[in-house]
Amino acid sequence: MSEQVFLLPDVGEGLVEAEIVAWKVNVGDVVTLNQPLVDIETAKATVELPSPYAGTVVTLHGNVGDVMEVHKPLITFEVGGVASSATTVAADAPPISTPSVEKREAVLVGYGVTNEEGVATRTRRRQGTSARVIPPTSSAPVAATAPRSTPPVRLYAKQHGLDIATLTGTGRDGLVTRHDVDQALSGAPATSPVRVVAVPTGPTSTSRFVGRDLEPWATGPKEERFAVKGVLRSMADAMTQSAFSAPHAAVWMRVDVTRTMELLTSLKGRPALGATKLSPLTIVALAFCDAARHYPGINSSFDAANGEVVVRRRVNLGIAADTPRGLIVPNIKDADQLDLVAMAQAQAVLVEKARAGTTTPNEMIGTTLTITNVGPFGVDAAMPILPPGTGAILAVGRFAKAPWVVDDEVVVRYVTELAMSFDHRQVDGALASRVLAHVARFLEDPAAALLVG
Amino acid sequence: MIDEELVQLLTPEGERVSHPEYASTLSGEEILSFYRDMVIIRRLCNESTSLQRQGQLALWAPVQGQEAAQIGAGRALAPMDFTFPTYREHGIAWCRGVPPEDMLRLFRAVSNGGWDPQKYRHSVPTIVLGNQALHAVGYAMGVQRDGAEEAVLTFFGDGASSQGDVLESFVWAASFNAPIVFFCQNNQWGISTPMSTQSKIPLYHRAHGFGFPGVRVDGNDVLAVYEVTKRALESAREGGGPTLIEAYTYRLGAHTTSDDPTRYRIDAEVEVWKHRDPIERVKSLLVREFKIKTSVFDDLAAEAEALALKLRDDVLAMDRPDPRSMFEHAYAAPHPLIDEGLRDMVELGVGGGAH
Amino acid sequence: MATQTMTMAKALNEGLRAAMEKNKKVLIMGEDVGKLGGVFRITDGLQKDFGEDRVIDAPLAESAIVGTAVGLAIRGYRTVCEIQFDGFVYPAFDQIVSQVAKLRKRSDGVYTMGLVIRIPFQGGIGAIEHHSESPEAYFAHTAGLRVVSCSTPNDAYWMIQQSIEHDDPIIFCEPKSRYWEKGEVNLDQPPNGLFDAVVRREGTDVTVVGYGSTVKTALRAADTAAQEGLSLEVIDARSLAPLDLETMAASLTKTGRLVVVQEAPHTASVGSEIVAALSERCFYSLRAPGVRVSGYHVPYPPTRIEEDYRPSVDRVLDAVDRVMGFDS
Repeated sequence: MSEQVFLLPDVGEGLVEAEIVAWKVNVGDVVTLNQPLVDIETAKATVELPSPYAGTVVTLHGNVGDVMEVHKPLITFEVGGVASSATTVAADAPPISTPSVEKREAVLVGYGVTNEEGVATRTRRRQGTSARVIPPTSSAPVAATAPRSTPPVRLYAKQHGLDIATLTGTGRDGLVTRHDVDQALSGAPATSPVRVVAVPTGPTSTSRFVGRDLEPWATGPKEERFAVKGVLRSMADAMTQSAFSAPHAAVWMRVDVTRTMELLTSLKGRPALGATKLSPLTIVALAFCDAARHYPGINSSFDAANGEVVVRRRVNLGIAADTPRGLIVPNIKDADQLDLVAMAQAQAVLVEKARAGTTTPNEMIGTTLTITNVGPFGVDAAMPILPPGTGAILAVGRFAKAPWVVDDEVVVRYVTELAMSFDHRQVDGALASRVLAHVARFLEDPAAALLVG
Repeated sequence: MIDEELVQLLTPEGERVSHPEYASTLSGEEILSFYRDMVIIRRLCNESTSLQRQGQLALWAPVQGQEAAQIGAGRALAPMDFTFPTYREHGIAWCRGVPPEDMLRLFRAVSNGGWDPQKYRHSVPTIVLGNQALHAVGYAMGVQRDGAEEAVLTFFGDGASSQGDVLESFVWAASFNAPIVFFCQNNQWGISTPMSTQSKIPLYHRAHGFGFPGVRVDGNDVLAVYEVTKRALESAREGGGPTLIEAYTYRLGAHTTSDDPTRYRIDAEVEVWKHRDPIERVKSLLVREFKIKTSVFDDLAAEAEALALKLRDDVLAMDRPDPRSMFEHAYAAPHPLIDEGLRDMVELGVGGGAH
Repeated sequence: MATQTMTMAKALNEGLRAAMEKNKKVLIMGEDVGKLGGVFRITDGLQKDFGEDRVIDAPLAESAIVGTAVGLAIRGYRTVCEIQFDGFVYPAFDQIVSQVAKLRKRSDGVYTMGLVIRIPFQGGIGAIEHHSESPEAYFAHTAGLRVVSCSTPNDAYWMIQQSIEHDDPIIFCEPKSRYWEKGEVNLDQPPNGLFDAVVRREGTDVTVVGYGSTVKTALRAADTAAQEGLSLEVIDARSLAPLDLETMAASLTKTGRLVVVQEAPHTASVGSEIVAALSERCFYSLRAPGVRVSGYHVPYPPTRIEEDYRPSVDRVLDAVDRVMGFDS
């Protein structure tokens, strides 16, 4: 003898429950297989449930009018030991929906909807089996000839100026990983040679970097290290100190420098100049000094140690010079005291000494304002970092022909771009803008400016 | 309400009636065997409904009331004929030799078919209404091209008679003079849609419009159904082309176990048709004309009961199929997506996602 | 090697003829396929030579053309159904999806759905509405079916025969705008397996995948791109379901850039599947996302403006520029 519980079945048409309309058996009744047990009413119909067992009714789990949940006990039977084959099977065989009993909700047709409530148990792929994405090596016999990496790592490398084709991938099947990019950026030695396939070699000439000739791309070592010393050390220290002490801000504008160019042309070969050569930079230097004379506040420095701002009425005009040893910034002392020819000569001397490497330490200290001339490199503008202890640095772009509007007509003029960084602790945007505008006016009409002096 | 042209050879009371074109050719022994088939089918159908009510089947499509239509048609078939059923032709399947448990595989949701259609010459169940009528005509065109003396019998109901596929199959059968018999069981209801919504004329009249004969037979008269179907199949085999048989019958039960017919039809109508029960009238005939004893009927009932219990045992023993089986027979030839799917399932662990 | 120059239409005709000669169970059924030889004359002369029982002029009902072919398949015949135009296949959609695709499964492998449904597809012939559509994705999406498309006379000749011999149902898409273009047909042996993609032109910068009519578009784009110094590798997908992803992936791991060209609109298209599947396989090699060049998401336009709808060489090259721009 054993007890069997008949769960209220999902008869495929209700929702999740049914109401007991009428019992057709009582506790203690002996019932046969398929004998009507009960009428139930679902949301859609009233149906009669036949008994799945032959046996004795032990418990009725609800009363007429009760709303019963599907898959919860409806009747408990005691099933006899002399049961027919059918009752035995019925008692032993789980309904096909058993595995799903707790997981399906009744609908109008079918076994019901799989219950997707609750937290699912994660089934993991068996160990040692392949990943869902089939690696090219397993099913596709063709090896990748383009460097393999993920698009995000490609972007990462690109943002850091690295070409992933030059990196050695240490990931699966030579994949270039983010770690590989980081390794390259940190200068760690590569773990294995770069690909052996033909790659563009680049020029065979050397190039300059931190005061030395770099060997060509193709033939030089894959990685080189240089001690940070000398000029490089000075530049690094100065820039780091400035960048992390002076809050930088910048203003910039485009200027019509046609008249400056015309002036230079008209002065060319004049006996008064002797061997002295004039350049646009000479005029820019005069203009910057003139602006300082008009707006001395720009020629200032911030003395954090003493809690003071220092304004100077002499300009020591630094000129950033690209030298064989690297970038140095010697200055022209009292540049505001110089006229056109003297300024030109002072610049010539400064450049010559810088190139020859004979610039003295004294010539490199005390700078108050600086000019960096990026024009010769063919660029339009730069956002320079202040030499420490100076108020402003003016970047001058190339002087190039460009369309320019004059009297509502587009005409071709010489145009340059001026960009000035300033120490925003003591110089504000208004002052900086006035200074830059003054320089611009000077360059737009240098003759008038020189006349005014 | 029944058409005057209705072919009937046995009244609901079990009295033989004569018809100018058809006469019963069956012996008492044969009639008894038809009776046996009908009793068994009704009992198996009831057991299937119980199994559904007990949570063992997803659905069941009862056949009560239509036993004569199906046994009469099924017994009229020659062994080499081929049949194309819907999902309710349990009586036809029985006549074709399909094991009862195989008929329930679809309804237990362990298979989309259930049996070998070539072995039993009985195609797999077709659920989309009317699709099978075109398959039947195509098969019949193949029979024609083979020069074989075979006929094809296809089934549909009054509901599917509105389907384009059924009407297209009429056109095709007529145009190609295909050896086919269209057997429409007009059980009066397409779920809740009454016959009057499907057609303004008797369905068998439609055949004339397509250019082949149509016959309305009392679908609850197994003697008449047998004779009418037998003659139509013979005509098809002999090159006479298609015939439409409208077996005028009634679905005593619900459309399926998901249906509640009390919502759309009145009890009085059901009572009328219960009086026309296809089994009782044959029993009357057997008792009166062939003096069949009560013990014979009792033995048949016991046989049906045993078959029902066996069906129950067989159904309860049907377990969840191996999930990997879903990849079998989707294609005849190797297919990369089948390989990929199977590999994915196996690597995740078979059945891992199903419980 | 016996080769012959012929149009794609003639190659299909010869392929059907060869299949019918080889296997007596091969039938052709469709509207106007007999005396007329089909509206595109693909079946020209076949009824005369093989008889009305084998080349069957069907009543005008597509569901029945396919539905009776199913019955014939159950009986052991191999019917090549001709759907007159792409836009007329939809009445047969139910039979194709519910029956053709599923009966083998439903019968546990007993039924072999050996039938071919030929559909002249894509536009470019200046037709009126419903005569220029690209319905291939509906069928590629359906498990149980296979979908192929030819782009050359040689492929047409062989692929139709391979399709007829195959035991699975095949949706055979014919680029009607290429019916009258001539090419060399090798009558001795098939160039490839039915489900193989083929590299039509080798290149190194961008993989361009097309099928049917767009293969030629892609090849023309490759010619133009070459003048600009860009090297396009053009792949003819040929099989749309299943896709030959190995061939495409081999190309993509080389170029790192993918453009797919189709006349169908983007959404849920074969091109979308190609891009998605290759993104899964070749993610680590991608230098740019895969780009689709498709018809626009509008009903096929009046054909006076269809060339503004169908992917043009310019639109292909624009996509090539876009994928070139991602990592340059």
